[in-house]
Amino acid sequence: MPESIPATLIIETLKDTFRDARAALAKENAEPSRHDHLGWILSVPDTHQKTVLAALDKEESIRVVTCATEDEATAIGAGLYMGGEPVVLMIQHAGLYASVNTMRGVAMDGKVPMFYMVGLLSREKDKDPRESRHSMVRYAEPLLDTFGVPHARLEGPNDVHLIPEYYRLSRSRRGPAVVLVGLETS
Amino acid sequence: MAAKPMKPPMKPEDVLQVVAAARGDAICVPTMTTSPAWRTIAPDDLSVGCVGFMGGASSLGLGLALARPDRRVIVLDGDGSLLMQLGSLATNAGAAPRNFVHLLFKNGVYHTSGAQGIPGGLSVDFVMMAKGAGYRQVLSIDSLDEFKRRLPELLRAEGPVFVELHTGLADQTPMTARGGVPFPEQVETLRVRLVRPRPTG
Repeated sequence: MPESIPATLIIETLKDTFRDARAALAKENAEPSRHDHLGWILSVPDTHQKTVLAALDKEESIRVVTCATEDEATAIGAGLYMGGEPVVLMIQHAGLYASVNTMRGVAMDGKVPMFYMVGLLSREKDKDPRESRHSMVRYAEPLLDTFGVPHARLEGPNDVHLIPEYYRLSRSRRGPAVVLVGLETS
Repeated sequence: MAAKPMKPPMKPEDVLQVVAAARGDAICVPTMTTSPAWRTIAPDDLSVGCVGFMGGASSLGLGLALARPDRRVIVLDGDGSLLMQLGSLATNAGAAPRNFVHLLFKNGVYHTSGAQGIPGGLSVDFVMMAKGAGYRQVLSIDSLDEFKRRLPELLRAEGPVFVELHTGLADQTPMTARGGVPFPEQVETLRVRLVRPRPTG
C-alpha cells in the first residue's frame, strides 16, 4: 500500500540532489554559482505537495519561484539550466496536461534536461493510478508513456532515492524525467 | 480640429539594430518575428531564440536572469506571443530580477501565421498590464530616436523593465526565413558560454 512521504524527507533529499548537481557542474569546470542557495524549485502550487511547499517557505537553502503556469515553469527551468543552476519543477497532474506542448518543445525537442515532481491529487490509496476513477490520475502515466518520458512513482518514504536518480536521468538523457508523488505529502 | 497625424510605426529591424549596438554582453532572447532579423543582425553565441513554445520568451529570459544576475537579459517579445502567457508578466515582476529588460514589439497581429489580428488589436494596453503586474519601470516608445536615446539608460536601470515598442511588420517571419541554428544547439552553446570559463592567455 502506498504511504505518505514527510515533507522533511523530501526537502532533505532535494538538498542532496542539488548538492550532487553542483558537484557535477564543478566537474565540468563550470564557473561557480552566483548564488548561496543550493538550487531552485519552480512551483505552480500543488495541493498534493502543499506540506513540502509550506516547509520550503522557511527553507533558506532552496529558492522557490512561484509561477503562474506550468508552461512558464518549464521555460524558466530551461533558462536556469543554461545559466548552470540546478532546478526541480513541482507541479500537479493537471499542470502536466496543461503544459505538455511546452514540455515537448523545450525538454523533448529542445533537449533541455527537466526534472518534474508531479502530484497525483485524488489518487486512491487502494488503487493503482491507472485504475483510478479520476481521469486526471488515470491518464498521467499513459500520457508520459505516449511521449516516451521516463517516470517512476514515489509510493512511500523508501522511494525518495528516485528523486536524485530521475534528476540525473533527465541530465543524462537531456530531456524530461518525472516522479509521480503517489499520496499527499505529510 | 484636425486629428493629430499618426506616427509611422518603427521598423523592427531598425529597433533591433539599436539593441545590438547598445547591448554589450547582454543575453538576448528573440522570438517569432524578431528571430530571423536578430540572427542576421547579431549572429553571436549570447542569444537563444524561443522556438517551439510560443509565449515562453520572457520565461526563458527570466530563468537566465535569475541564474546570472551579473548579466543583463533582454527579451525581444511579441504582442501575440505575450498574450499566450500573459500571466508571465506577474511571474516576472514577482521574481523581480534587477537585470531583466522586456522589450515588447507591438504590431497588433500574428505576423508569422498570416497577420491575423490579435485579440483586441492595437488597443490592448500592455503598459498598463506590466505596470499592474509590478514591473519596476514601464514605458511606451513610438519613435526610433527616442528609443535610441533612452535604451542605454534602460539597460542600466533596475529591473524588471518593460518597454512597449510601437512597430510595424518585420520583413521576414520564421515562416518566410526558415533555418538558423536549431534550438538544442543554441541552448548548449549558450550554456557552455555561460557556465564554463573561457581559457585565459
